[in-house]
Amino acid sequence: MSGLETIKIIVDAEKEASRMLEEAQRKATEIRKQIDITIENKRSEALSSAKQKASEITERAENEGKSEAEKFERESSGKLHELVTNASSKKESAVKKLVELVLS
Amino acid sequence: MSETAKFTEDILSIAREKAQSIISKAEEDADRILNEAKSNFLREASELIKNAETEGEAIRRRQVSEARHALKLREQGEKNKILNEVLDQTRKRASEITVDENRYLQYLTKLSVDGIQEIGLENVVLHLNAGDAKRFGEKLNREISRQMQKPGKVDLAREPIETAGGVIISNNDDTIRIVNTFEQRYEALEARLLIEAGKLLFNE
Repeated sequence: MSGLETIKIIVDAEKEASRMLEEAQRKATEIRKQIDITIENKRSEALSSAKQKASEITERAENEGKSEAEKFERESSGKLHELVTNASSKKESAVKKLVELVLS
Repeated sequence: MSETAKFTEDILSIAREKAQSIISKAEEDADRILNEAKSNFLREASELIKNAETEGEAIRRRQVSEARHALKLREQGEKNKILNEVLDQTRKRASEITVDENRYLQYLTKLSVDGIQEIGLENVVLHLNAGDAKRFGEKLNREISRQMQKPGKVDLAREPIETAGGVIISNNDDTIRIVNTFEQRYEALEARLLIEAGKLLFNE
């Protein structure tokens, strides 16, 4: 092998080495670019799922509150009816006692 | 292997290692960045859910509290209705005493005696409505004299007063007055009547 051929082989090897490094740099840049997209996708997925869950939580709470309120109204309406009936039955005697008080 | 081949192999081998190291470093950085970001957005998501739980609890409580408030208002409305009916009936029934002449005379006498004692003067003037003045004028004077230990001079006012019943006791020049009319007594007693009615009707 002549000296010239030897130099050519070495120069070619260095070119190949340089190409390898350029390719690695390109891949590294690509990985870094890709990570932003991955993060945004995963974030969006996590938040969307959390929003869905949050919406279910508030909806469930609203239904629970509504049903508790209705239950309370049902129970209380009975008590109120009882209170009115009770007081109505005492009206006459109350009037008599109050008249006595006014005329005393 | 020739010297040249060994030399070029070394160049390529070093380049491969360096290239691998560049890629590995980029992958490690990507993993670290992803983990940091994951931790942040998971915290964000967890915060969203926590807020929804707090909001949900507030919604639930508000609905129950609104129901309680509405019921309280309904209850108060019903109570007021009954209380007003009872107070109206009381006022009407108390005024009906005027129909029973004997009982009303006794009551009028009591109101007059109380007023005379309260005003504390020798000479007083009694003011009645036109009907009562006509019905009880002299009788009332006699009853007062009978009931009081040392009755002073009691005159009846010439001008009748506008009232459903009862009496106003005044001095001669009408500058001091004790008002014992039905309306005044009812007004003075209204707060007490409300309390008593509440106790009688609702055990309050």
